[in-house]
Amino acid sequence: MSTTPHQRRALLSPLRLRRERRYPELPNGVPGEAGTPVRASSLWRDAWYRYIRNRAAVIAGVAFLALLAYCLVWPLVSPYDPYEVDFSQASESPSLAHPFGTDQFGRDLFTRTALGGRVSIGIGFAATLVILSIGVAYGAIAGFLGGFVDNTLMRILDALYGLPYLPFAIIVLAIFGGGNFWTMVVALSIASWFTTARIVRGQIITLKENDYVRAAHAVGARWLRVLGRHLLPNTLGVLVIAVFLELPGVILGEAFLSFIGLGISPPDASWGSMAQDGYRAYRTSPHIIIVPSVAIAYLILCANFIADGLRDALDPRTRET
Amino acid sequence: MTRLIVRRVLWTVPVILLVILMTFVLMRQIEGNPFRHSERAIPESIQQNLEEKYGLDDPWYVQYLRYVKGVVTLDLGPSLVLRNRDVNDIVREHFPPSLELGALAMAFALVFGIPLGLLAALRANKWPDYTAMVVANVGFAVPSFLVATLLIYFFAVRWGDVFDVPTSGWESWQSKVLPTIALGLGPMAYFARLTRGSVLETLQQDYIRTARAKGLRRRRVVVVHTLRNSLIPVVTAAGPILGFLITGSFVIEQIFAIPGIGRYYVTAVTARDYSVVMGLTVLLALIVIVANMVVDILYGILDPRTREAR
Repeated sequence: MSTTPHQRRALLSPLRLRRERRYPELPNGVPGEAGTPVRASSLWRDAWYRYIRNRAAVIAGVAFLALLAYCLVWPLVSPYDPYEVDFSQASESPSLAHPFGTDQFGRDLFTRTALGGRVSIGIGFAATLVILSIGVAYGAIAGFLGGFVDNTLMRILDALYGLPYLPFAIIVLAIFGGGNFWTMVVALSIASWFTTARIVRGQIITLKENDYVRAAHAVGARWLRVLGRHLLPNTLGVLVIAVFLELPGVILGEAFLSFIGLGISPPDASWGSMAQDGYRAYRTSPHIIIVPSVAIAYLILCANFIADGLRDALDPRTRET
Repeated sequence: MTRLIVRRVLWTVPVILLVILMTFVLMRQIEGNPFRHSERAIPESIQQNLEEKYGLDDPWYVQYLRYVKGVVTLDLGPSLVLRNRDVNDIVREHFPPSLELGALAMAFALVFGIPLGLLAALRANKWPDYTAMVVANVGFAVPSFLVATLLIYFFAVRWGDVFDVPTSGWESWQSKVLPTIALGLGPMAYFARLTRGSVLETLQQDYIRTARAKGLRRRRVVVVHTLRNSLIPVVTAAGPILGFLITGSFVIEQIFAIPGIGRYYVTAVTARDYSVVMGLTVLLALIVIVANMVVDILYGILDPRTREAR
């Protein structure tokens, strides 16, 4: 063949390419002789391999981890007290001493953004976990039982598709009498789990129909093995994607609620409450609202690209062209 | 087809009852008393009379049934806080601005989002595609309160002498421009991404190849064969988009001081005006549920394949 190595690489499937790397002494990475051991590749290993080939997703993943590290570590080592009011350096524009500037109370925004990120991202992940739990329970019941139960449960979901969560979140906050970390988690999960329930149910229905599940049954596998070996790993993939699909909505929800004064309230920092602070002073120092908003946008962008990458990696059948 | 429509409409009824029940149960958990605003305690007998007048002393299922009856007869009951006003008045007064804002934002999103997505798909993986997708991804990620604030900052503060746009109220057309853009940007980005994906998928279909092979002009292939078929999945996005608009309006109405539902909602919650909060929540949920129903039926008409599946 007169193909260049570059063309040849492009022709190779990812799996073959990997085998080739692992067994460079074999032609195409395929063992020639019968009996040569070939290591079975797991679902997650393949997924990891597909994921790291997606440049946008890798950048987003690294950026996301960097954000997490910044939020967790910076408040510990920062020279500034994020709560100490000092009007002598209020509303300063970004400088070397204060990379993000200071707010109207003279607090260092670089430190407060990290602190607010802890709260916002914490609420985001906690609420996402609650949403997933409810969604998995609902979706699994519908998918496993099928028939009338499935029909009823899904028709309800069809009708509720896209129901705005904000009014219900506001009512929940009114019940608890205000916003703090855990009340926000409840408020943001209560009317946001419909999509996840749908996804889980769809996945379980599809999996049940798969030939390999039937084959597993046919060769006498017990239901526990079918569940553990075939159904669960595949549902897990969808759930990992769902984490990053739900996260942006929840983070935005926190920001909206805090912004209209019903969520986390100043001086406690969350990205929403910081934006509320910033909104009060946007005419003179717009950077105070820009900083937390850009943090939110940054996180949502990361989550979107990570979700895309994970979908391609974990569910190759639905890969986008 | 008729059977599908009837079944879909009938399914909506129990769901509406369920949503009202959910809201009703939630509302009853809120502590506090709408009649007691000042520190001054209301005498026991007056409190009882008030509760009796508004039917708050009945068992909860009686109140629930009475409420459902009210919704059916389009009577959402009296406001508990504002005397001589009922929820219908409040809806009549505050709903039109919200509806108009939502419609304008939706129009903005459609008019700019669909062409953007189409352009991106037709020039896939070239610079117009990258530009459009950067715009779409950023537009989707930036919270609307930042968009709103920046619009006000630039068009009313920085370049205020040039543009002179009012930043609050909802009377003149000038005052409607900025809120429309601020609320419509997110849905626009959503439509652009959706259209791009959908068009790319359609372009791979055999009938597009056939149309091209027949020698049809490019414009005809794009508009008649591609776009028309690609827009069907976009229709189904109406549910989430509507939710998005409603959610966004809470913030946008607050920032631009628009006398709409979203702004009044927060006021009513703070004042513990149960019946208003209840009425507005049920109304918003009803709008979404009915929109979903219409979309499902439309989908069945537009795409015959889905009829089989149901």
